[in-house]
Amino acid sequence: MTDPLSRLGGSTARRLSRLGALARFGFGALRSLGTLPAAGRSVALRVTLNQIRFTAGQAVGLIVLLSGILSFLVISQAVRELGRIGATDLIGTLIVVVIVRELGPLITALAIAGRSGTAIASELATNRVMGEVRALEAMGIDPRQYLVLPRLGACLVSVFVLLVVFDVVAVVAGFAAASFNGMTGARYAEIVLQSLSARDVWLTVAKALAFGLIVGLVPSWFGLSVRRASTEIPVAASRATVTAIVGIFLCAALFG
Amino acid sequence: MTAPLAFEGVPLGGRGSQPVTLEVPARETVALLGDEDSGIGRLGGYALGLDQPPAGRALVFGTEISRLPERERLAFRRRVGYLPAGDALLQNLSLRDNVALPLRFGSAATTREIEGRVNVMLAAVRVAAVGGSRPARANEEECRRAAFARAMAFDPALLILEQPFDGLTARTAAELLEFARGGESAEGARRAILITGQELPGLLLPRIERVYRVSRAGAVERETA
Repeated sequence: MTDPLSRLGGSTARRLSRLGALARFGFGALRSLGTLPAAGRSVALRVTLNQIRFTAGQAVGLIVLLSGILSFLVISQAVRELGRIGATDLIGTLIVVVIVRELGPLITALAIAGRSGTAIASELATNRVMGEVRALEAMGIDPRQYLVLPRLGACLVSVFVLLVVFDVVAVVAGFAAASFNGMTGARYAEIVLQSLSARDVWLTVAKALAFGLIVGLVPSWFGLSVRRASTEIPVAASRATVTAIVGIFLCAALFG
Repeated sequence: MTAPLAFEGVPLGGRGSQPVTLEVPARETVALLGDEDSGIGRLGGYALGLDQPPAGRALVFGTEISRLPERERLAFRRRVGYLPAGDALLQNLSLRDNVALPLRFGSAATTREIEGRVNVMLAAVRVAAVGGSRPARANEEECRRAAFARAMAFDPALLILEQPFDGLTARTAAELLEFARGGESAEGARRAILITGQELPGLLLPRIERVYRVSRAGAVERETA
């Protein structure tokens, strides 16, 4: 009777300990921002912009595609089904609550975690295996300043920007779907705007920031956690992506 | 006067190894030679506080770096030039940016001052012409020259060089050692240097004050000229 309980306790303690280590890593990275010299800031900014180009710039097409198809399908079905019972006003709630506020941040973060999270974890793990992280430390450079902060900043910006893209495309695709099913543009705009509240906006922004933090931090942590063997790189990348996805879902549940 | 670098009772970790006590006095170049599995490759990490020795202590300018708080530890390491085995240049940066990186993150110098210093360093190691290339596009000698320049970015009084001359001609090795020593005066070289590796080109020996070798039993013995 005690064995399963002690195993459960041990496993929970290990997970909490890892969560604590991740939190310390995150705080350490954010705190290291304060000690960045001016020349280091310009290098970190350059790395951040490069990362944004990869994480946000090259993912715009994917986000437009996902958002457009999802919104068009959902609103097409909803207009048809809700129209039968005379409840087309609920389309506004559907667009704002389900797509813009809930699915938008979730799908955007999942897409970035799958695409860039894997890349970040692999890149940092390779840096570690090649001895580059050790060389940075030996030169008196905090690896968090050069490797983690730019990626964290880039993920925060990228998730936010892509979320705006996702939501704009979702509303436009929803309009296209509604028009296709006989609803006028004015009517669509009216019910969407009626359903939109300030709470929806700040909740969406808060989710973008929280998910961006997860997508930037978790892969960096797993990437830098490898030791020496190159065989650890794919393992770190895989664990980073899975953990980030689980983290995003848990975080979404907390917001709910 | 405190030696810039001292190891006190530090085991190298090989089978049957004995604790090593070794000093690198100011203005002298000391070479510690041994097989790849002798454990001498660990000394740089111990000295810089990157690893903790299983026993004994490594002192840099009288300080045990590994015992310092994190921020002070990073700052203290800038007083030491370190060339790890295999160069460890960052592959996504050009040779020029590799040399500039420690200055950009570890000094309050302006971008213009840093650029000036990097130009001087690249010219001194004769890689100015390929400074814009990434390590993968440069040859082994150019990478090693850039790694030397990076190790000396802060003009340190102490240098730790791991297998610095592997794969280089004796002539290039002699040129880089002269650069590392930083010029001679009546008291000796400008810098204290610890070199670890398997063998050294004979051309360098006149410039190295002490050569030690780790025996198969793990004992460190001084070689005589």
